[in-house]
Amino acid sequence: MPVSRRSFLAGVAGAGALATLAACANGGAGGAPQTGGRLRAAFVAGGAQETLDPHRLPQFMDQARAKACFDTLGRWEQDMSCTPRLAESWEPDATGTRWRIRLRQASFHDGRPVRATDVLYTYRRIADPATTASAAALFTGIDFAASRAVNDRELEIVLGAPNHLFPVALGSYGSEIVPEGTTSFAAPVGSGPFRFVSFTPGGPALYRRNDAYWDGAPALDELEFLPVADESARVGALLSGQIEYAHDIRATSAQQLASDSRAQVLTAPGAAFQFLYVKHDRPPFDDPRLRQALVLGLDREALARVALLGRGQPGNDMFGKGLRYYPDAVPQRTRDVDRAKALVAESGVTTVELSTGVTDPSWPAATQLIVAQLAEIGLTAQVRNVPPETYFADVRKNATMHFSRTGTLPVQNWIATTQLSSALTNSFSKYVDPEIDRLHAQALADPDEGARAAAIGSALTRIHDNIASPIWGISDWIVGVHGDVKGLQGFRPNTFDWANFAKASLG
Amino acid sequence: MTARAGMRVGLALLQLVAVSVGVFVLTTFLPGDTAEVVLGPLATPEQIEVLRGQLGLDRPVWAQFADWVGGLVHGDLGRSIATGRPVVDDIGSRLGLTVVLALLAVVVLVPLVVVLGLYGGRHPGSPADRLITAATTVAHAVPDFALGLLLVALFALQLGWLPATAAGTVGLSGLTAPMLVLPVAILVSNQLGRLARQVRIGVVEADAAEHVAHLRRLGLAERTVLLRHVLPAGVVPSLQQFARTVDGLLGGVLVVEALFALPGLGSGFVAAVQTRDLPVVQAYALLFAATTVVVNLVADLASARLVPQAVRL
Repeated sequence: MPVSRRSFLAGVAGAGALATLAACANGGAGGAPQTGGRLRAAFVAGGAQETLDPHRLPQFMDQARAKACFDTLGRWEQDMSCTPRLAESWEPDATGTRWRIRLRQASFHDGRPVRATDVLYTYRRIADPATTASAAALFTGIDFAASRAVNDRELEIVLGAPNHLFPVALGSYGSEIVPEGTTSFAAPVGSGPFRFVSFTPGGPALYRRNDAYWDGAPALDELEFLPVADESARVGALLSGQIEYAHDIRATSAQQLASDSRAQVLTAPGAAFQFLYVKHDRPPFDDPRLRQALVLGLDREALARVALLGRGQPGNDMFGKGLRYYPDAVPQRTRDVDRAKALVAESGVTTVELSTGVTDPSWPAATQLIVAQLAEIGLTAQVRNVPPETYFADVRKNATMHFSRTGTLPVQNWIATTQLSSALTNSFSKYVDPEIDRLHAQALADPDEGARAAAIGSALTRIHDNIASPIWGISDWIVGVHGDVKGLQGFRPNTFDWANFAKASLG
Repeated sequence: MTARAGMRVGLALLQLVAVSVGVFVLTTFLPGDTAEVVLGPLATPEQIEVLRGQLGLDRPVWAQFADWVGGLVHGDLGRSIATGRPVVDDIGSRLGLTVVLALLAVVVLVPLVVVLGLYGGRHPGSPADRLITAATTVAHAVPDFALGLLLVALFALQLGWLPATAAGTVGLSGLTAPMLVLPVAILVSNQLGRLARQVRIGVVEADAAEHVAHLRRLGLAERTVLLRHVLPAGVVPSLQQFARTVDGLLGGVLVVEALFALPGLGSGFVAAVQTRDLPVVQAYALLFAATTVVVNLVADLASARLVPQAVRL
């Protein structure tokens, strides 16, 4: 699952990272937040084709706007577990195929209560292929004919197969609850902390506080989302007081902001996984010796230090460090130039192609380093630059080795969308391993949390051992906010708290 | 002259057709399509196919082009594939901003170019001339983005006199005069050096011309000699460069638009190409080509008007 500058999906830290996250907080102590005012938040946006449909969220800005106006039944926590939100509770039957969900007392902005039929309508709409919804894969397993509203505040969802991790879908971005029958989002009606006021596609979107919000009215009077594509323009606008929140800041700009009293830097550590995918189904990386040589030839410490500018850490060829189900016991892979050289010599390969781009700001520097590191093990890397707007579509088809990045997602979701043999038409590595499919299915079907963790851990370990998705680094996610802003922290994108302004204030 | 001007217009129409076909062909060679770009990298192949069908992208590209041409013949630029809205709506809001930026830049640029070029040309080699040449050369040599960052750091972040960006504006809506000061300053700075030097050289040559010396010997007032004879002849050689400058300004100024979050034609065109939104790309290409043709035609006519004996259309 790749992520471009536009739709990077990030998030999550493990329990160990929570302390770090807390250290990045800018709210908390200091008494009650100041009420009133307008917070202006700048993101990269999608241009004229933008809509406010909360089920189609190709950009970060789309996610943030949806979060302001709508609610999800669950919330993705920092370790990518899911806890109830608009849902009061959820309970499975013994098989994990029948889920009973009870809703909280809440209402939409037009005064209508949020009912079980709204939830069923929403999930049916997401699962409908015609919607092309971002979270469609998480809801297609629902048997809608068998699912039903028990009463206004209770529903029963029936799945086609056992899935004890189904509630994770309820906290996903793109699963926001809309009123039954909604087909137009020109003036969206949700149940979230802010009511829609106005929107210009490719331009600003304005929201006003929802005084009747079930979780308490926000401190802010108004929330405005502004599209500012250029990162230096976001930094300039923040420092000159034109905006109060600048999303997606580079490490170099973070240093500038950190030394300026007008701004604060909110950092989410370990938020973006940096991949160096190789194709298993074609030369030259169909040779396992060459794959092994590649991962032994990488100097990950140097990559984290130089390409990530010290705002990151070395990767260990497994997605999800710090997240629930990540197998911490697997040793960190380290550089072994002699062994890598020997493997390259055995394979007989001397030249490889490396596809790269500017989708992530760290890639140009990482490309230079990796080319040099591969040269040290006897491989000449020919670099192919791919433009950002078609980067992922291109490398999916044409590259034999290429960069990619993925934000934080539940580990089992990442496995399902990138590693399952049944999803291979869409995979970057074309890695086929039926055992991964089996372990994933076992994890979903097993009601025991320990067994589930073991199954997912085993799947990740296989991915590590078989070099299915090499990860050279894990980068931080950085946001700049105005010095007066309170109630925000360095959360990773995709989590419930990231870009959530319900508790933010201007003082 | 009228017949020649008519030929130029006819040629211009042919150029527009050629540009339209050329852009269409080039666009079809670009990898990816609107459905892939709109849905983002996480979309499944099935979702992309569904959206392709919804957007009509599963039809042959030549059929799409034929539709577009058919609409154009009836004065309809068509609808954006990505948004479904009329193309003129998408371009219209950006056009106003770009025209305002270009006009302001020209209004500031022209007097500066004339004054600096005339002074330098009348006093070649003087300390002031050297200073003007050095300063305008430096201004021209500094890239837009670097100058932009410097000016923002100084006037917006350090002194707080001007806004750093135009964030939140849509076209001309919400735009204030202070937001345009730094963008216009960068646009002027970039072009000033080149144009002022050309005018300076033109003035030096015109000033030394035999007919100008003759006019002075006849006792014509110096002011009249300068404004009626030296300046027009000195300006003509730089008119084509000036036309290119205006053409560039009207075509959108991408770096300045990005630096200041100004939603003008430049960023709109790039977005349309990135989205592979064929009708919008075609409309931009036509607009830019038409601008180029018209601006150059006006420059030619102006040259002919200023120095009729020196210019043939």
